[in-house]
Amino acid sequence: MEQHVNPIIDAVLGYIAGFIQYLAGLLGPYLPEAHWAAYLAFALYVTAIILGGLLAILARNLVRAMMGLVLTFLGVAGMYLLLASPFLAFMQLLIYVGAICVLVFFAIMLTHNSSEGEESKLPPLSALGYGLLSLIAPLAVAGPLIILHGSKLKSKVPVDTPTGDLGKGLLTEYVLPFELISIVLLVAMAGAVFLAFRGFAPLKGDKE
Amino acid sequence: MTALTFFLLASLLLLAFGLAGLITRRTLVGMLISVELMLNGAGLSIVAACKSTEASDSLGQLATLFVMGLAAAEATLVLAMILVVQRRFGKVLSSEITTLR
Repeated sequence: MEQHVNPIIDAVLGYIAGFIQYLAGLLGPYLPEAHWAAYLAFALYVTAIILGGLLAILARNLVRAMMGLVLTFLGVAGMYLLLASPFLAFMQLLIYVGAICVLVFFAIMLTHNSSEGEESKLPPLSALGYGLLSLIAPLAVAGPLIILHGSKLKSKVPVDTPTGDLGKGLLTEYVLPFELISIVLLVAMAGAVFLAFRGFAPLKGDKE
Repeated sequence: MTALTFFLLASLLLLAFGLAGLITRRTLVGMLISVELMLNGAGLSIVAACKSTEASDSLGQLATLFVMGLAAAEATLVLAMILVVQRRFGKVLSSEITTLR
């Protein structure tokens, strides 16, 4: 059976493969050794993070911004999988995608902010300028630091930690933070219920 | 460049997105979304740093679990605050909330 259907497609595929090989040869000494599938997965997750992040901060419709947030959370969950911590990836899905996004959705819907709310207008030009500045500043300050000094750290390949170790750590070594976080959660829930049920009506003499 | 560098750059990207969103968003809800982005970047960088160096693995994962718990508590409280502000001011624009009373 004839495999090579179209010489043009063959030529294009060959060119692309050659280009990838050329890039790999060029960057090879600087890149960590990993299976190509790891690079593919990393590229996929980074793409999800970038697209989701851009959608989350640029979308004029807040529901779309929340969907961008979900995409970013999924990308970060994939990163946790790449770092050999599947328990954290599961928790990311459960807590962030399952709980926090629902809270954000409640906030959007309770303030009538979905598509024709206050967010649908563009922010003033000065705010856009400051936003661009604050996007560039962390990248420009910490990016070179990470690239220059991160390479000097002795890096090892992540290995899987048994989930039982995490549970033992929670009950022996890190029992104080564990109890503290439960108190924080309790106080936050009580405060939220108190604020939401008591309510604050508009005061007399306020201009509406 | 090690694998750690890539993961740290990804979390730096999350921080930058969150900061930019926090400044450009006009409403409290949009700012809540941006803060969640930044918290996610913090968790990712903690796990990456602990998993790919000699530091304790379970310490990094538990720290990120605590960050997630704090994020959940923060989101709950912010939702209640947004409700109060909405009732009190009628809108959740950050530029409109100017009285403490």
